[in-house]
Amino acid sequence: MTIDHGSPLVTFDNVSYIYPRAEKPALHDVTLDIGKGEFLGLIGPTGAGKTTFCLSLSGIVPQFYGGRFFGRITVAGLDTLEHPVSRLARHVGAVFEDPETQITATSVENEIAFALENLNVPREEMLIRIPRALEAVRLEGTAKKHPRELSGGQKQRLAIAAALAVRPDLLVLDEPTSQLDPVGAQEVFATVRELNKTLGITVVMAGHAAEELAEYADHLALLVDGALVALGAPDDLYARVEYLERCHVRPPQVAQTFARIQQAGVLVPEIPVRLPEGITALKTTAHSYAVQAPHIPPAATVNRDTSLLSACDLTHVYGDGTVALRDVSLDVYAGEYLLIVGQNGAGKSTLAKHFLRLLLPTSGAVLVDNTDTRDLTTSALARRIGYVAQNPDNQIFNATVEAEVAFALKNLEYNAAEINMRVEESLTALGLWERREAHPLALPKGDRARVVIAAILAMWPDVIIFDEPTTGQDYRGARTVLDISKQLHAAGKTVIVITHHLYLMPDYAERVVVLGKGALLLDAPVREAYHAIDVLASTHIVPPQAVLLARALAEEHHADFPLLTPEEVAACFTVNGFRGSFADR
Amino acid sequence: MSALTLHTVEHDSFFTRLDFRSKLTLMGAITLIAFVWESPVLGGLLALALALTCLAAGVKFGYIRTVVILLLPFAAFMLVMQGFLGADLVRARLDREALTPIFTFPASWPLIGGGMMTWEGVLYALNVVFKTLTMILVLPLGLFTTDVNAMVIGMVKAHIPYKIAFIFSSTLRFFPLLFEEIQTIIEAQRLRGLTFETMGALKRLRVYAKIAVPLILGALVKSQMLDIVLQSKAFTGSPQRTYLHETRLRAADYAVIVGSVLFVIVAAIAYVSWGIGRFGKW
Repeated sequence: MTIDHGSPLVTFDNVSYIYPRAEKPALHDVTLDIGKGEFLGLIGPTGAGKTTFCLSLSGIVPQFYGGRFFGRITVAGLDTLEHPVSRLARHVGAVFEDPETQITATSVENEIAFALENLNVPREEMLIRIPRALEAVRLEGTAKKHPRELSGGQKQRLAIAAALAVRPDLLVLDEPTSQLDPVGAQEVFATVRELNKTLGITVVMAGHAAEELAEYADHLALLVDGALVALGAPDDLYARVEYLERCHVRPPQVAQTFARIQQAGVLVPEIPVRLPEGITALKTTAHSYAVQAPHIPPAATVNRDTSLLSACDLTHVYGDGTVALRDVSLDVYAGEYLLIVGQNGAGKSTLAKHFLRLLLPTSGAVLVDNTDTRDLTTSALARRIGYVAQNPDNQIFNATVEAEVAFALKNLEYNAAEINMRVEESLTALGLWERREAHPLALPKGDRARVVIAAILAMWPDVIIFDEPTTGQDYRGARTVLDISKQLHAAGKTVIVITHHLYLMPDYAERVVVLGKGALLLDAPVREAYHAIDVLASTHIVPPQAVLLARALAEEHHADFPLLTPEEVAACFTVNGFRGSFADR
Repeated sequence: MSALTLHTVEHDSFFTRLDFRSKLTLMGAITLIAFVWESPVLGGLLALALALTCLAAGVKFGYIRTVVILLLPFAAFMLVMQGFLGADLVRARLDREALTPIFTFPASWPLIGGGMMTWEGVLYALNVVFKTLTMILVLPLGLFTTDVNAMVIGMVKAHIPYKIAFIFSSTLRFFPLLFEEIQTIIEAQRLRGLTFETMGALKRLRVYAKIAVPLILGALVKSQMLDIVLQSKAFTGSPQRTYLHETRLRAADYAVIVGSVLFVIVAAIAYVSWGIGRFGKW
């Protein structure tokens, strides 16, 4: 599969690769050219082969991993099988997913210098390149800082600067924004695009950030099960909404919206994939068809007589003097589905940890069922409040799935019959009963998250807190976890979700708490909160594109369109008396 | 546990300005002398001087206090062992038979009846404790006052192979991350009803054993990731590389190196000639 390039920088020629002891190929017969100066977005569900593709560009696959490799890859004319990784590193700069693991030095300038030192670049030359690399990623003035003083977005930009200082022909970024908040992600995308445009560096970026890739990439390559199944411009590929959804790839919401509008019978000449074009197309379409805000079912009501969890003028100051929470007052009622959003460092997790007495207030109070958490223990609170933290691997410490789920029950001193009953019930509810003998860490990441949820559920808590449950998951994985949260909510549990991914949440959340720099900025029903664009922007959160399209409709029709999803926006259009529909929430 | 994680001193001092090679020489000299001296008085003075120097260099008081607290069970063990059971060793060191009793258990007591705690045994135990404390405190004085990169360059200049210097610096960099991970895992266990507060020692040991599994697996994943990152940055471990930072010995460094060597020589002469530092002399 090729696109016409003047002279390709990278060539994949019938490349297949099988990891040692693997049964299926991670890459399967991939043929592709990447032109000089191109920005290629690599998309596909988890396990599609994106990381393997990225590692093969620097020769790490297969030179580091071994396994069976077929075909030929060349980068800047060098065969990646014949040249050592250290030689290829002169041409290929790599940026990985986790900002923590890939930074090895204790100062910003040393981090950038490391590869240069390894490549025997003279010191005088390094002193020229380091400030230039920092300037290119807008990190001037940080040379002497320790990397831990940088934010997540800044750390990824430092990793880019380190790669850039080598002056590579190709910059490879493997899901560089998956652990960042929207503003951090935006910083990384803007930086990479600028380097691509101004310095002509060829870019390959793997990721799930559809909205950003639609905006910045020249071409997209879609990998499914290791095979390259589609290649084209974002305008072409992201417009194939149904096809992408079948491949478990999330298209940009603007494309989803127009695909739904098209399905409703509205003539849509071309499905836009970027927001500005989407707004223009929406206004054009709205002139030709009857538009009316759909009936919005009333929000579910919650008994607000007595609160289950309360924070009263809560302030928390960490040992290093960081004020993580400042005078936060909040009540959470039984049976609610609450979403907590805010930038990295806004205080979201700090707030959640107070409910479990993992942290104690510096001032103010936290009450659980009207009892001050100072008078309770974490283990006692854990019976009532389940906490599912971000990384499931840090919460797994038993040799079998069954033992993992029974762990808490033994601590809580239930008898054997009760333990067996609860383990079976919990594992069955999460579809893991058949895997009960397996080692939890041998399961795929999505299943490991479900094991942790099962272990929490077995305690029958009244409240379940999911802290960033969708980070590092693809669309399908994220929906799976959130669907579980929905089932729990339907079963009467109180659910609290902390996330940056607003586009995932309209089908689940009822109420939204917005935190910014430790302060409570907004506490409102989901529709009101999602449309409080200025408040969200003040904590660096970007509303989903469907909300922004709804705002455009509202502006055009001088009416209120409190819509949240592509389906709701599509449902505004009426064709011959037939209106697009969406399922009542 | 977190009080014992590695940190860098926050203020500039004579020690932060020294080259790592001169600190290595000083650390070596102090360790050697602490190892040789058996006098509890001199050993105690050396440990005290080192603790004060650490404080002056910016090492946190809390760190030193934690080290001392953690040494207390060891000190108690040594006092019992040497005080009651170390008589033969002490006699050999003193080259005399008669020891000074502090108290003796009545002969009628089962098992410990007739056991005698001696003054010399206690002094010998104190010597071991001070020796250990000195050898521990010399590490923060050298490591906490030095930037990791300066350590690497200092070690390479001291003809230590670059690969070893790099492994050493990587260990220092990832040590705090390891502690963070332990805390996260313990937190996860508390959230599953584990009551650390009321737990017995044996049960705690079993809990720590369970922490090892995710910790080791996590470390393996991280080390593989680190390996990939290093390879992608052209790291081969070859000493044929350039350095961003230069390092050179200044007057203060020469003074420390010469002073350390002289200290060892003088201590050795005093030990051999007049027995200064020998057990029972001071």
